[in-house]
Amino acid sequence: MPFREINSKMVEAQIVPGQTLYSQRGAMLAYRGSVSFTPSITGGQGGVMGMIGRRVANEQTPLMAVEGSGTVMFGHGGHHVQVVNLTGETLYVEADRLLAFDGTLQQGTMFMGSQGGVMGMVRGQVTGQGLFTTTLKGHGSVAVMAHGGVIELPITPNRPVHVDPQAYVAHHGDVRNKLSTALGWRDMVGRGSGEAFQLELSGQGAVYVQASEEKL
Amino acid sequence: MNFGPVTGGPGGPTVFDPYTLPSDDNVNPYTFCVELKGSQWLLQKGKMIAYYGRIEFDGVGHGRFDRLLRTSFHSPLHAGDWVVAEGQGKMLLADRAYDVNSYDLDEGNLTIRAGNLLAYQPSLALKQSIVPGFLTLIGTGKFVAASNGPVVFMEPPLRVDPQALVGWADCPSPCHHYDHGYMSGVLGGIRSLTGIGGSSGEEHQFEFVGAGTVLLQSSEALMAERPVGTVGAEPGVPGAGAGHGGHGGQGPLGQLGVRMPGQLGDFQRRLGL
Repeated sequence: MPFREINSKMVEAQIVPGQTLYSQRGAMLAYRGSVSFTPSITGGQGGVMGMIGRRVANEQTPLMAVEGSGTVMFGHGGHHVQVVNLTGETLYVEADRLLAFDGTLQQGTMFMGSQGGVMGMVRGQVTGQGLFTTTLKGHGSVAVMAHGGVIELPITPNRPVHVDPQAYVAHHGDVRNKLSTALGWRDMVGRGSGEAFQLELSGQGAVYVQASEEKL
Repeated sequence: MNFGPVTGGPGGPTVFDPYTLPSDDNVNPYTFCVELKGSQWLLQKGKMIAYYGRIEFDGVGHGRFDRLLRTSFHSPLHAGDWVVAEGQGKMLLADRAYDVNSYDLDEGNLTIRAGNLLAYQPSLALKQSIVPGFLTLIGTGKFVAASNGPVVFMEPPLRVDPQALVGWADCPSPCHHYDHGYMSGVLGGIRSLTGIGGSSGEEHQFEFVGAGTVLLQSSEALMAERPVGTVGAEPGVPGAGAGHGGHGGQGPLGQLGVRMPGQLGDFQRRLGL
């Protein structure tokens, strides 16, 4: 069920019987046909254990299951929407940035410390991701929200990408990331460049960057 | 390294002067230019950002505009929010970096959220819609409206989230639609009894059927509602006697203090459900 981008802030999804779509509650703008919006108690997949996992990880977000047959338009809060099509890889994204995603995608939570240990946890604090982040894996589409427009930067081996942690939105693929610091004496006396922390992503995949340093 | 503005291309930013400014057209997605040649436009207060030429702005209460108001302004409650621009020149209209567009009506009618309307030609008549918080334009002419994100035009039958609705044209039947299908069945019964699971936030929409066009804005962030005053407390007049400024976050049910089945109210909210 791919999403069709109507404009930069609105996507359209075709709902067919037998397939479920998850979306953030209240993000429906309009719909045609007979479509039901059921609040998902567990906030996604994985049953009660999945819910507990997300609650513990503070990655729970009010979701609803969209079922039926028809056309639904999604958008939320005037944020820009970026559609990411996954073909087997894993998307790492904050749960509150999820506008809608295919029910066929596997939803999980990941501990930031598992990628880079303590620095991974520090990275989570700097990017505002916290200690955990949400993963979506499989074949399907995800609509991700961002403040300002989004650009996709490909990451190829030997060509690492440096991203401002506040402008980081999501990434997918086989990507290692680490927080690089460029702290000097200037930062200590308050004359820093304001770019002391950078996120360095290397490997194979893509990173999504928003044109704003504002959190969602 | 290039620090120059991107939009202008290689030649730098586009510089406009009174002659190169478009006439009654968009300068960019967020700014609209109106050309006045001794003619008049009505605009909401505070939406003009710049002008060239000799243009006078007077409140609609001004006695000089008696005839104008008689034909094209039928909303005494909004009188404080509107001014008449008159003279020679070009004026730029914008509203907090929202997308601005002009629309042409030809012997038509269009109803629009009061806060989204920026300006209109006096050949149109502005009236208060019987749907509270909306204004109806009737006649032939051009008007300028703002929206959060580009406006999307849809044909009925359609159900629209109340916050995403900008307006509609020709649709005879805007009405409320309540959807509580998920409250049935075993799980729904539990949800309805305990309140666990909450609501989807999508149980209330505006429904449109029949021939016409529905205007959607692509986000649910509402523009600040302008106080549209109250209509006279007359029997048979919808919204009479009650202030209806708050069209945001809460649906009409919330305003009325009606508790939907399955809501435990404050207790439920405390649990974050």
